[in-house]
Amino acid sequence: MASPLLLTAAGEVGGDFFRERSSGTLPCQAQSSHLFCWDWAKENIDRYGTPTVQHLEIVLLSVVIGFVVAFGLALFAHRRRQLQPPLLAATGILYTIPSIAFFFLLLPITGFGRDTAIIVLAAYTLQIIYRNTILGLANVPASVKDAARGMGLTNRQILWQVELPLAIPEIIAGLRVAVVSTIAIATLVVFINAGGLGTQIYGSGNLTFPTSIVIAMAIVMGMALLFDLVLLTLQRLTTPWRRVRQA
Amino acid sequence: MPSGESDAQSQPGASSVRYEETTKQYPGASEPAVDSLTLEVPAGEICVLVGPSGCGKTTAMRMVNRTVEITSGDVLIGERSVRDREPAQLRREIGYVIQQIGLFPHRTITENIGAVPQLLGWDKQRIRERSAELLELIGLDPELGDRYPAQLSGGQQQRVGVARALAADPLVMLMDEPFGAIDPINRERLQNEFLRLQAEIRKTVLFVTHDIDEAIKMGDRIAVMREGGRVEQYATPAELLMAPANEFVEDFVGADRALKRLALMRVGDINLWEAPLAYVGQATAEVRKKLAAPDVEIPYPLLVDSERRPLGWLSERDLGADTVPQRPDSPLGPVLERDDVMRDALADLLQGESQYAPVVDHEGRITGVLSVEIISEFLASPEAKSDEHPAVERPHG
Repeated sequence: MASPLLLTAAGEVGGDFFRERSSGTLPCQAQSSHLFCWDWAKENIDRYGTPTVQHLEIVLLSVVIGFVVAFGLALFAHRRRQLQPPLLAATGILYTIPSIAFFFLLLPITGFGRDTAIIVLAAYTLQIIYRNTILGLANVPASVKDAARGMGLTNRQILWQVELPLAIPEIIAGLRVAVVSTIAIATLVVFINAGGLGTQIYGSGNLTFPTSIVIAMAIVMGMALLFDLVLLTLQRLTTPWRRVRQA
Repeated sequence: MPSGESDAQSQPGASSVRYEETTKQYPGASEPAVDSLTLEVPAGEICVLVGPSGCGKTTAMRMVNRTVEITSGDVLIGERSVRDREPAQLRREIGYVIQQIGLFPHRTITENIGAVPQLLGWDKQRIRERSAELLELIGLDPELGDRYPAQLSGGQQQRVGVARALAADPLVMLMDEPFGAIDPINRERLQNEFLRLQAEIRKTVLFVTHDIDEAIKMGDRIAVMREGGRVEQYATPAELLMAPANEFVEDFVGADRALKRLALMRVGDINLWEAPLAYVGQATAEVRKKLAAPDVEIPYPLLVDSERRPLGWLSERDLGADTVPQRPDSPLGPVLERDDVMRDALADLLQGESQYAPVVDHEGRITGVLSVEIISEFLASPEAKSDEHPAVERPHG
């Protein structure tokens, strides 16, 4: 947190926003120790609309792009086993790059704004989605594939009608982790001027007046929970056979 | 799906399968897995490929549906070479049953059975009807059709596996140790069911097993194989038991020769027990005295009519009356004839859950009683064990 890079960035990039904030009236200023100020929250709730929509857009675009790329890579590597370890390593290396460093490394190429944000966030989802898709496909019992082949399904039919449906639980498990972590990391894209709920979290005024942080945090957590529930429901709906086991 | 769908060769029912110098050489292997196999399986028969593991029997079977590619030679189904066919198309005409069953866990039983018909483009209604028909044929409640495989027992799953293979009325069935993973009691049941089914449907079946008893039971013909898919003998089960072609076959068949000899013995060949007889109207005191004699092995008297034809077993309650009643308390159970094959007789006893069965002559008159104990004593006797080859106990492993 005390990284000079981060502080500089926050000062430079988020500057406008914080100036605006500190000039407003702060009803709870007398009790600055309060974590949350209802009056201020009621008065200022409108200012979270645009950042929330931005946040959502960035997350959705990143995850969709990440999924398409990672899923494509997994399908490509599925019947080319020798490709699997290098691809896993490559996506793994991307995943280990610190996010702030990743943003600023891309700045000279893609500049400030949403594109850079989406590239970085999408890159972070590759590892988990790729790995889980490969894992899900690998977990399909050999006997099921043997039977499918012996009955006259083509390789393509085996993939789409047998292997992928059976890999859904692992694939969606990967997506859930990817979505939740992307929602969290997307609060950092404020540092490259890409907006989002991070704009309501990072700011000098917030150090003594944390209400905005609490609200933004609540929205981020709510969003993560909601997406997680949606994906979990999707998994249940697409894998009815997994629920009968207990029956 | 272009071409060859309704193929002129596919007369309904079954086709013969002919191996013509079929060879499978895996790259890097020094010896071929199957070396120039020539074998003909007539249409409508069960041919069992049996042999020790690694003998190439599964490879041989898999070349029929090209899940293993043929290196040289050919396999003909009917008159048509499998090598001319597009593999996926070919496989849809061949039923395929494997030991691990391989039902699709994400599809219902009905959808599993309908897998091949769906590939062939049948409409939904027809697939549902066919599934229901097959569920009935294999003796499963049609209501199971909407369940998923995980909700069925292993035995039920394997029945569904057989039904799925039969769904599109294939010309040939390939069965790779289909009952190998089933517990012995259910295996017996499934074998019997399949034999009854086969009597109806008359498919050409290639059946792979390493279990010679299963081979003898299931096969119309048995090909005993050794490494390289070399057929040491191709014969009916009876021929195989009576006249093994060479030492390898003899050794393979003879691991428990005594038990198998039951297949070649008649009930009349063995010393039967004498039944304590009771006649209708006879004083029960007299019958009780008979039962008390030291050499009587059976605790219940057998009620016979005046022609000494068995009517049933008398229970303790029957003997409570003064005279022997007309109708016995316990049903007769299985009745054997002196000409019955001993193995069938044993099967009858086991199936009737009965320890004893009266043995009658051609006129139906009682000549003795066969019991499970007599058979087990025979099997334990040196006469059965020693045979002509005293040292046949195979080393472990």
